[in-house]
Amino acid sequence: MMPEPETVSTVAAPAAPAWAQGVAAGIHAAGSREIVYVPDNPLSHVLRTIDARYPDIRTTIATREEEAFGIAAGLYLGGRRPTVLLQSSGLGNSLNALSTLFVPYQIPALVIISMRGDAAEWNWAQVPMGRLVRPALDALGIQHLTIERAEEAERTIVATAALAFGARVLAACLLPRRLTTPPPAVLEPAR
Amino acid sequence: MNRLDATRRLVAGLSDEAVVASLGHPAYDLYAAGDRPENFYTWGSMGVASSIGAGLAMAQPGRAVIVLDGDGSLLMNLGSLATIATCRPPNLTIVVWDNRQYGTTGGQSTATAHGTDLAAIARGAGIASAVTVATEEELAAAMAVTRRAPGPHVIVARVEESAPVAKPPLDCVFLKHRFMTALGTADATGGGPA
Repeated sequence: MMPEPETVSTVAAPAAPAWAQGVAAGIHAAGSREIVYVPDNPLSHVLRTIDARYPDIRTTIATREEEAFGIAAGLYLGGRRPTVLLQSSGLGNSLNALSTLFVPYQIPALVIISMRGDAAEWNWAQVPMGRLVRPALDALGIQHLTIERAEEAERTIVATAALAFGARVLAACLLPRRLTTPPPAVLEPAR
Repeated sequence: MNRLDATRRLVAGLSDEAVVASLGHPAYDLYAAGDRPENFYTWGSMGVASSIGAGLAMAQPGRAVIVLDGDGSLLMNLGSLATIATCRPPNLTIVVWDNRQYGTTGGQSTATAHGTDLAAIARGAGIASAVTVATEEELAAAMAVTRRAPGPHVIVARVEESAPVAKPPLDCVFLKHRFMTALGTADATGGGPA
């Protein structure tokens, strides 16, 4: 006789956090039906929500962030409105495609960046690139908004997408760790 | 075969295919061989041409998409082959002009001069239709296969370096808009199709 299946397989996956539901809803409401991404843990909640609720959005995983932007550029040239999801660490991998393809050709994309290295970070190796995100985007003339609260996620994503696809520019939403990530264990009382 | 002659031969066989050219000599030769609105010339983003072609092929499944890449460029973005093998756009063909050198930057040897086999890498990535050709006749035959069999296809064309004879316009926005207009994807009113 076969053993009973693990009970976990019959229990629905926990709902994604409210901020992730808002981000997913915003992508859909903005009319983007293409997501190209390199995953990280916070973004997994967005992707899970997309899979569950928005099957009309195609998701394409890339091996590297610059490649994701290349695919997104092709999608736009082909008439789609691409969204790129990446962790801030991967922005460094992308700067050549952003600065020598998207900006000079005026190719738009909605860019959603899960932050490392900001408040609530515990890993020093992630801090320098995290600090570089806003200056790099500023240097490229890429407007960026930071989503501070789950309630504003959908509206901020839609507004950023309207800028991107209306004005035909890159526009970015940053997801800070204080929004996406439980407080780190380092904050446990010292022994 | 020489890259410019091979490009001319390839362009002569085109109808309404979209062609994405990697920066430098592949783009220069495409322009010299036959400028057309369906050509998208990159002026930067080395390595990304195959990814642009992949996204374009996914967005436009009814149109054949050809990428003209270089060996040095593709070596910068080998992960693209794995992604293309995963997404399997049937209308995508990547032609790699393999001259075994960084021709645009002074002729430094690439890894393909030392045994790296890009067609084998493509097959290893999961792209079953990946061949190496050494003559214009073999190239024409490989291109004919792409017109009758679903892709993605990778054609590594062993070419000799040749001096560029012309360069495409430098106005990137013009190139983009002309290309998108030819494809029917330009959105002059803002917003554009989803």
